[in-house]
Amino acid sequence: MPDFTPFLVSGLATAATYVLSGVGIVVLYRAAGVVNFAQGAVGALAAFVSWSIVECGGPPGWSWIAGVAAAALVSFLYGRVIAPRLAYGDPIMRAVATLSFALILLGFMGYVWGEAPRRLRLPTDTMSFELLGVRITMTRAIAFGLGVLATTAVMLFLAYSRVGLQMRALASNRDLSAMLGVRVLRVDSWAWVISGLLAGVSGVLLADLQRLSGQALTFAVIPAIAAAVFGRFVSLPATVAGGLAIGVCEALLTPIPVIGPFRTAVPFLFAVGAMLWMQRRVTFVYR
Amino acid sequence: MTLRNTILGIFMAALLGCAGCTAHAADAKCGANTGKAANGEPIVIGGIVSVTGPDNFSSSGLAATAYFKCLNANGGVNGRPIKYQLEDDGWNPEQSSQVAAKLIRDQKAVALVGNMSFVDCGANQGIYEKEGIMVIAGVGVPRDCFFQKNYAPTNAGPRVSNTKAVMDVAQTYPGKIKRVVCIAPNIPNLGEWSCSGAVAWIKKQGGDGKIITFDPGSLDATSVVLEAMAFKPDVISVGTPKGLAVPIFAAAEEQGLADKVHFTGPASLYNPDFPRAIGKYWDGKVTVDMELKAADAGTPDMQNWLAVMDKYGQASDPRDTFSQAGYLAARVTAETLLKMDAAKIDRKSVTQGLAEHQAVRKRHVVFALVRRRRSSSQRQSRGPGVVRQGRQARGKAGVRRVGRS
Repeated sequence: MPDFTPFLVSGLATAATYVLSGVGIVVLYRAAGVVNFAQGAVGALAAFVSWSIVECGGPPGWSWIAGVAAAALVSFLYGRVIAPRLAYGDPIMRAVATLSFALILLGFMGYVWGEAPRRLRLPTDTMSFELLGVRITMTRAIAFGLGVLATTAVMLFLAYSRVGLQMRALASNRDLSAMLGVRVLRVDSWAWVISGLLAGVSGVLLADLQRLSGQALTFAVIPAIAAAVFGRFVSLPATVAGGLAIGVCEALLTPIPVIGPFRTAVPFLFAVGAMLWMQRRVTFVYR
Repeated sequence: MTLRNTILGIFMAALLGCAGCTAHAADAKCGANTGKAANGEPIVIGGIVSVTGPDNFSSSGLAATAYFKCLNANGGVNGRPIKYQLEDDGWNPEQSSQVAAKLIRDQKAVALVGNMSFVDCGANQGIYEKEGIMVIAGVGVPRDCFFQKNYAPTNAGPRVSNTKAVMDVAQTYPGKIKRVVCIAPNIPNLGEWSCSGAVAWIKKQGGDGKIITFDPGSLDATSVVLEAMAFKPDVISVGTPKGLAVPIFAAAEEQGLADKVHFTGPASLYNPDFPRAIGKYWDGKVTVDMELKAADAGTPDMQNWLAVMDKYGQASDPRDTFSQAGYLAARVTAETLLKMDAAKIDRKSVTQGLAEHQAVRKRHVVFALVRRRRSSSQRQSRGPGVVRQGRQARGKAGVRRVGRS
């Protein structure tokens, strides 16, 4: 029987980055009604911008801020320029438009940075402590802390701020909210900025913890979407639980023979399982 | 600054500039080396590489492109230029089959040269044999590449390279290497196979070995490293392309493993960007196999390869083992074509000519021997040696050879 403890500890940090992205996806869906497949690509852009600034001799601290800001800006621009023109289109069309946006960003990153081997480093990588036989860097601890913090902050923001209230109103009934004076475009833009910020933080952390590769980071959206599916694109606590479960399960399956090499299928299994579970009532009614 | 100082400064800069370029100073020589551009009817040659996907795996094709450009600028094939068409298969077998059909059936390529792909050999074996086209690949990766009738890679493959790398560490630390872990992507006909030689060898020495395969799309390298460490290895061979190896080394650094375990890897890690990517922590702590000469060996062939890359390639093209392999594949092809009647060059004659080329025949002989002596990994070992990877970052002069030569 393999010792699963180290894998549990290492999986938590990856899970936290899934949570960050998943929360960003849910917030955007609740406010603007868009399933954002570009969440991973926007995060990858943040990571590449940070890396480039550090490569040019810039201060690392500012480079991450600039990277996250670039992600928020790109997300804001999409939300302000393209998304409003599709606002009354089919939800699938809006989702596919974000997929196109992801592929454009992926192509742009491939053109500018290519796939040369590189690594994004944070000063917190060198600070570490031992937990259950695994060395945990501060970056991992921060990733986990940020995952919890960001989720709590977003939940409080939605519950108590005026913009949060307007977002909930938009999610409930877009047309009625507009008639009541909610500035739809402005609230949508806020949702895109929050989504971009979360994508940026998640991208920078994933690039440091795992791999600085446009392709890999762009498709890191898959576990985040699976986490959002787990939360039905509505519930933030369920999205957090889904993200954590996916990340930890992926890590825990590592030492299991035969299944281990195929553990990247976990997000798909979770998404399919969650959808089947959600549909159980419908099946019951039709019986 | 006085005029004297300015002149002295310019003189010193010129001197340093010349000193820096001495290694590449040789003029690029290709084909008949006439210095005149070829302008006859083009000869179409194709190439398949993996640019997009989990890693950019194309340096062999880029080197072949540079060599054919050089050839075309120097008389081509008795006046006929090579039209070299390089296609990306995106690590996708279906896309690989599509581009192969496009090159062979639509473009009527007479040969494929400089191929470098994880999926090409498996996906296109049928069409290569059916259409009677010869592939002088730069780099063969999966097992299929080394057991095909019309496929001759210039490298010995990841199985031999991994085995050599592990053997070198064992020889460097006699009696201390008993347990080996080999990490590879879970690609059919590649992952397990590429590690099987190293594991078989260590078992024959009385030790034990474990193969860990992982999904190249997976982001969690720490779990892979933790799984490797659970085996309590003395050596970990990271048998992946360079892009996939970086996060594994990062995860190993995070766990502080450089002083606990010896790290090694096959020729795919012999890349000038790699030491910089994995960082100073690994300086002098990773041994990497190389299949051809060291990039800074200074031999006429190595100098010509670098000169061709500098003059006809892009500055961003890698100068790694696989680039050498692509250059070699293109050169072998050019040598063959130059001996033929330029007016009668077609696929049949080129396939026959390449099959009779001494280098290609030797490759087939080598692979025939490999097939017969598969159980003895040591006999498969070939190539000039192993370099300690960390030094590359500081300049070519820093490359230190610690293995056989």
